[in-house]
This record gives sequence, structure tokens and C-alpha cells, in this order.
Amino acid sequence: MEIIAIILLILLVGSMLTFLIDSFSSKLTGITAFLFSLAASVVFFTQIPSGYQFKFQLAGLDLQWGLTDYSYYFAYIIFGMSVLALLYSIKYMEGKGRLGYFYGSFLLTILGMFGVVISQDFVSLFIFWEIMTWASFLLVIYNAYYKVKTKGVKYMIFSAIGAYAMLTAIVFIRVHYDTLLISEAIAKGAFNFEQYIYIPIFLLLGFSIKAAVMPFHVWAPSAYSKSPMSFTTIFSGAMSKMGVFGIGLVFTSIYLGTNPENFYWVRTILGWLGGITAVMGTIYALIQTDAKKLLAYSSVAQLGYIVVGLSTGTKLGIMAALYLTVIHAVFKGALFMVAGAVEKQAGTTDMTKISGLIRRMPWTFLVALVSIIALAGMPPVGGFVGKWLLYEALITESNNYILVVVVFFSSTAAFLYSYRFLYGLFLGQEEKDTKDVKEAPITMLIPMLILMIIAIVSGAVPGLIFEPAAKAMEAIGFQDVTWQMSSLTNLWGDTTNLGLISMLIGAVFVIVFVFITLKGYKNTKDVGTKDISTSGEIPKEWENLSFQQDFFQPFQRAAAPLYSMNMNKIWKNLGENLEAFFGFFRKLYTGNGQTYALYVVIFLVVLLLFKDVIFS
Amino acid sequence: MEGILFKIFGAFITALLAFTVGMLFGGLRRKVIARAQNRVGPPVYQNFLDLLKLQSKTTNIAHGFMGHMAPVWIIIAAMTTLMFIPVLQGDLWFENLTMKGDLIFLLYMMVFGNLGMALGAGQSGNPNSVLGVSRGLSQLVGFEIPYFLAITALMLQFQTTTIAEFLNIQAETGVWIVLQNPFAFIAAVLASLGMFMYAPFNIVGAPAELASGPRAEFGGKYLGTMMTGGAVFAFIKLVLMVDLFLGGAGNNNLEGIAGTAVGLLELLLKTFLFYMIPVFVAIVSPRYRTEQAIRFFWKWPTFFGILAIVWALYKNGTFN
Repeated sequence: MEIIAIILLILLVGSMLTFLIDSFSSKLTGITAFLFSLAASVVFFTQIPSGYQFKFQLAGLDLQWGLTDYSYYFAYIIFGMSVLALLYSIKYMEGKGRLGYFYGSFLLTILGMFGVVISQDFVSLFIFWEIMTWASFLLVIYNAYYKVKTKGVKYMIFSAIGAYAMLTAIVFIRVHYDTLLISEAIAKGAFNFEQYIYIPIFLLLGFSIKAAVMPFHVWAPSAYSKSPMSFTTIFSGAMSKMGVFGIGLVFTSIYLGTNPENFYWVRTILGWLGGITAVMGTIYALIQTDAKKLLAYSSVAQLGYIVVGLSTGTKLGIMAALYLTVIHAVFKGALFMVAGAVEKQAGTTDMTKISGLIRRMPWTFLVALVSIIALAGMPPVGGFVGKWLLYEALITESNNYILVVVVFFSSTAAFLYSYRFLYGLFLGQEEKDTKDVKEAPITMLIPMLILMIIAIVSGAVPGLIFEPAAKAMEAIGFQDVTWQMSSLTNLWGDTTNLGLISMLIGAVFVIVFVFITLKGYKNTKDVGTKDISTSGEIPKEWENLSFQQDFFQPFQRAAAPLYSMNMNKIWKNLGENLEAFFGFFRKLYTGNGQTYALYVVIFLVVLLLFKDVIFS
Repeated sequence: MEGILFKIFGAFITALLAFTVGMLFGGLRRKVIARAQNRVGPPVYQNFLDLLKLQSKTTNIAHGFMGHMAPVWIIIAAMTTLMFIPVLQGDLWFENLTMKGDLIFLLYMMVFGNLGMALGAGQSGNPNSVLGVSRGLSQLVGFEIPYFLAITALMLQFQTTTIAEFLNIQAETGVWIVLQNPFAFIAAVLASLGMFMYAPFNIVGAPAELASGPRAEFGGKYLGTMMTGGAVFAFIKLVLMVDLFLGGAGNNNLEGIAGTAVGLLELLLKTFLFYMIPVFVAIVSPRYRTEQAIRFFWKWPTFFGILAIVWALYKNGTFN
């Protein structure tokens, strides 16, 4: 049996088995799911080399599975994040109901994602895409099992639109090019914007809905924040990246083309959509009071940067997009895990209700701190590398000078919600009701710490990620992609030496930290958060000193015009108008037999009158 | 080995210079403002005395780990940024790591300290501090936009992102960038008003209203170390401006110690003159509310920033 089928089988069997095991022992479910995902990834990384291919026939169709360097790059993210998320799930999901349902769908989602990246023909791509979407839909409504109508409906509608768009494109490819293999379609120019323009547009529509690009992002914030956090880790970290995978695939014809200037307007439109996504995601993230929602909006914004990177079509830009794909999975995965840990231990992630958890959950805070530094894009942590590549790509290699300012605005405003997240959950006044909160269990901490270490290491030695990314870029048609192990160089030859920066920061950190700790060590008192001076008065024990509501009110006031734009409203209006429109047709169904008889007569009359036109 | 020792010695000298000049300029500012208000004012060395007092306090109060760490973050940001900025052109003592990092890196590194301080202020639990942080971060989004526009314009016009290259270009052509792209200079100067956080943009730490805002809960060695970092940062901002727009310093034909001395004098003169811009504005200004400040930065400074980019594109021949 083919090894790639074995992996799919492991995941499928695991999915069913966990579903069954739940009825015997709900404790074993999580461990089983974790072991199955571990087994699948071990088999994958040890047995399957890049360039592997497997062809077979099914119902008269030529199907083909395999891995190029490009899909291998995404497979890294899928398996890496899935194993960590499932390890995290064991404790996170403990004590919740319907675990078989949860883990079964979870493994099925992994199967779907893996299937998407290994598909080399459109039929399997579509089937796996649908498995992924439907399995993840089950997880989105996990917390709202009895209120499906209101909670998951946006995600379902948008996913369905995306799927139909994709199916249409696939059918057109079959009609116009007589092939179902992706590589053949690319070779024949099916993704080319100059021949049948609706094919790439429909495909892009399908993929960008999954990547939550403006204006199709409205499903994302609620879906990300409503699902269980252990799933959101891969929902935002890996599954949204399937959209990125697809956009990259569609753009190969642009990248491969000898003259990318031909596609200037396509790239510009997509780039601007990415930029606006980043800005809107950011400004809505910073007014949230729920940490989960904040992270969800921030995910939308970060995907915007990736799309901007893809749209540049230059080496540095694609490198930025691929690098951000991984690093976003790493730090956002860690942050969703942090939010989950807080939710599990403190009962809520509403920042107006809890604060000052730093002394209760120090390790979780450490992970949150490093991940937030990565999110804000500050050196010496990995996020900075992605930002640097993106800016330099936009300034030196592309001519989108206004777009670079839009991206910069969004990433500066990201400092605001970065701070909001840390302050809201971990800093601020330590209230009595959070006194009994304990640190998260060790199996939840381990995956978070692993992700944190990856974030730190990739800041000093980003070459570890550049290497597979460069290979992936060569697989989609770039030549001579250069990279260095620990420094960055742009087109103009300016370098930033990350190794030196990390060493310098480390050295200064040690020196100053030792100095400030040892100086007057005995006379340094660590007092609580009630021992403060507010305008010279010492606050009483019962005084409420929390500052959590309307945190960035000045910014909101200054940026008020931006906030008046709301995509949700536009979609809602469209929905209502469509409802009114279709309501007109509903009136045809009167329920009266005589009316229906009249319709039949009218139909026959029309047929007779226009028979020459219709049947000619 | 000798090379490394020389580097460390050079870094030490640079840090010492930055610290001294930063503190001295702080004292001068107080003196200038006092004279403008017809007061005698404190002596120029007053800041050194303040620092001495703070560092020799016997008891120190920390409000938890992040409060303890805040000064460390600030010093990290200050020292790292300083090492990547060319202080004296072509002088081996001050070479440090100037060719190893570029403007985008510096832009992010300069915010690093602010975030550290914000986290420290956050953990103190003082609502006034956090209010200050909220205002400070909002204002940051305001002035970073024109600043970024200005330096993007420079990058586009001269096709480089390394500061040392900007110095070389100015030395070769003999024309300061302030004349080659005046709009970028205007945008950067207006943005730097916000960066220095003097009036009218001093609502972040408004003493009468917020009890000095983010710093409210810091004292003793913590406040002292933060003050040191702040002084170095003031120097960094000034030198960066002088390097980018006013031709830098140390570009003379003299040999040895005389060349360094003349270069240092030139540096002091240029930075001082530039420093007087935010100081004089502060003397005659009342205080903006945060949203007014942000709106201000998004209007005229941003307009000049966009003009600077258009000018840069015109100059480097994109429109031809």
C-alpha cells in the first residue's frame, strides 16, 4: 500500500476510533487523538521525501497525489501545529462533553488539510478542501451545539460561496483545457489572467475566503473566537494558511511569466485588499475587550500582511509571505494557547473581568510576552524578520509606496492591541477573585514553550526557516533564491545582521539585569499592586483601580472615520436586499391548485409561441 | 581578540558620550525654558545631581517582575540603537556596528524601550500610569506615520537603507539632504516634536493631571536607570536627525585626535541647534489632547511626508 495512503488512513482510523473510544472512556480520547496525529507525522517526516508522487485511477479520472517542496513547506506547519495543538488539547478539553465529536472532527480536519497540500489534481483538491471545511465547521459550532443557527452560519455561508466558486473554476478548467491535473493546467496557462479571466478569479475567491481577505473576512473573528482555543490554534495557524497556499498556487503563472508587469493591476488589487484587511483587522482588534476576539481580529490582520507579501510577486516579497506564514502560525498558535490556558484556569478571557494574572501564571505570561514581541514585530524575536522582509520588499522591489505606509500604519497600531492583550490579562490590579488561579498544567505549558523557543530562535537564525522557504519558492518557479543563515540582505545590498543583534541584546540584558537586581538587593522591596500612590493618596482595599473599559479611547476618537466603515453592515444589507428580492419569487407559490394550473398553461403557451426560437 | 577589546572600548566611549551629552542637553533645556519664563532656573548640571540622588537611595520599591524589568528594557533599546548609529563619520572609536543594521531595524528598535516601560507601568497597578500608556501608544501611532513617510522618501531617493550610506552620499555630493529633499526634513522635524514628547505633545506624562503618568510608580534605582536610558535616547534621536538630514559630523580632513575633537564640536553644535527646535516649540505651546495630537500628525506632517515621497520619486527618475 502506498505510504501516503497509509498516512491518510491513520488519520481516518484515528478519527473514527476516538469517536468510538469516547463512549468507553472520555479520558483516553485526547491521548488517542494525540498519538494518532503523532504517528501520522512521524510516518510523514520519516517516510515521504519531497518530490514523492502517487498516481491512480478512480471512476475513470486520473488522480495524482504527491509533494513538491512548496506543499512540503505547508505540511511542516500542518503536522507541527497539529501535534502541539492535540497535546495541548488533552488537558484543555478535560471535563468538557462530547470529546469524541471534538477529537474525531479534529483529526478529520488535519486529514483535510494534509489532503489539500498533497492534491495534484483538482478533484482530490476539491474533495479534501470540503472535508477540511466541514470538519472544521463541526468544531466551530462545538461550543454552540444547540444554537447552530446563530453561531456558525456566517462561516458556513462564506465557505459554501468559496466552494462553489472553486467548483465553477474547476469545471471551466476541465472544459477549456481538458485536464484535471494542476501542473498541466498551470503549464497550459489556465491560471493566466489573459485567457479566461474568470478561472483565476473564481479560484482566488475560493482561496481568499479561507484566508479571510477583505471583504470576505467577516466570518473569521467570530469563528476563531467561538471555537475551542485548542482548535483555533490550528484554525488560524494552519487552516487559514491553506488559503495562502492556494493564492500562491494561482499566482505561479504570474511568478513564472516572463513579464510580471502584465499582471500589474491584479497584483495591485490583491495587495490593496491585503493592506486594507491588515488595517481593518488591527483597528477592530484594539477595541475588543475579550482577549479571544482580540486575537481573532489580529489573525485577520496578520493574514493581510501575508497577502500583501504574495501580491508583490518579487523574491523578497514571497519570502516575506512564506516566512510570515510560519512565524504567524508559531506566535499566534502560542497566543491562542495562552488565551485557552487563561480561560481554563481563570474561567474567562474577558479583560474587563480578570486582570493581574502575572503572579498566578508566570510561565504563561512568559510565553505571552515573547509571542507578543513576535507579533509586534520587534527584534530580536522572529516576527521582526517577517516585517523587515515585507517592508524591504515593498520599498526596494515593488512600487507600492502608499501601500507600504498602510502596512506600516497597521503594524504600528498593532503595538496598541499587543499591549492591551498583555495588560488586560496579566498586568494591572490583582483582584481578590483571581487569587486562587493556578498555573496551567504541564502538558499545556510544553507546547506553548516549544512555540516560544521557536519564535526566539527564528529571530537569531531565521535561515532555518529560509531554507525550506527558498526551496518552496524554487518549486513554484523562482530561480536562484538567496538567503543567509542569520542576516538579511535587500536588493540594494543593505544588510541587517541578526546574529549580532541577538548577541548584543543578550549581553546588554544580562549586564543591566544583574546590575539592577544586585544594586541594593536587600533594600529592594517587592510590594503588591495596592501599595501605590494615586495623587498622593494611598488607595483603600475596596477601591476599584482597574482600567479596562474604553482602553484606547483617544485613538478611537482620532480614527473615528475608520471605525465607521464596517463590512459586516454591508454584507447584512446585501443579505436583506437579497431576501426581499427572493421574497418576490416566493409569492409565486400561492398554495392554490388553480394558480399552479395557470402556471402550467402559461408555460405551455410560451413554449408554443417561441418554439422556433428555443428549439432552433 | 584585540579587535574585540577595541570594539568594546569604543562602545563604552560612545555610550559615555551619549549619556553625558543627553544629560547635559536635558539640563540646558530646563535652563532655556526657565530663562524664557524669566526665572533663574536650575544649574545646567542639575540632571546629574538628580541622577546621583536617585541612584544613592537606600530603599527601592518594585511592583513585580515587569516593573523590575522596565529599566532593563529601556537600557537595552538605548544601547542597541546607539551601537547602530554612526556618531562620528569615519572615526574608528565610534564605528561600533554601524554597517550591520539598517533604518527599518532602528525604527523598530526605538519602540522597544517604550513597550518595556509600558509593561512596567502596567504592572504597577496604578490607573494613572496605564492611562498615560494608553495615551502614549496612541500618540505613537500618530507621529510614526510622518516619520516613516520621511525616511521612506529618503530611502527611495537615494536607493539605500543604511545610515552610513546617507552620510557618504552627503559627503560626496557636498549637499545636505535637508536641501536635497526639504519636504522629508519638514515631515521628520514635525514628527520629532512628538517623539520628544515636550509640549504641546506632553499629555502622556502630564504632571498635574496624571501624576507623571507611566513613571508614577518608579523611584530610586529604577527611575535613575530609566533617566539614564532617556538621556541616551534623546542623544540618539538628535544624532539620527543630524546624520540623516544635516550631513552628520566628523567629515573633515584633520588627522588623529584633532579630527575627532573638531568632529565632536561639530556634532555638539548641530545636535544642540536641532534640539532647540522642540524646546522652543515647547516654550510657546499649551498642551494638546491626545486625539488632537494624533489628528495633527495625520494632517500637515503626513501631507509633507507624501510630498517628500513624490519629490523623491521625481528626483530618482521614476516619472521619466
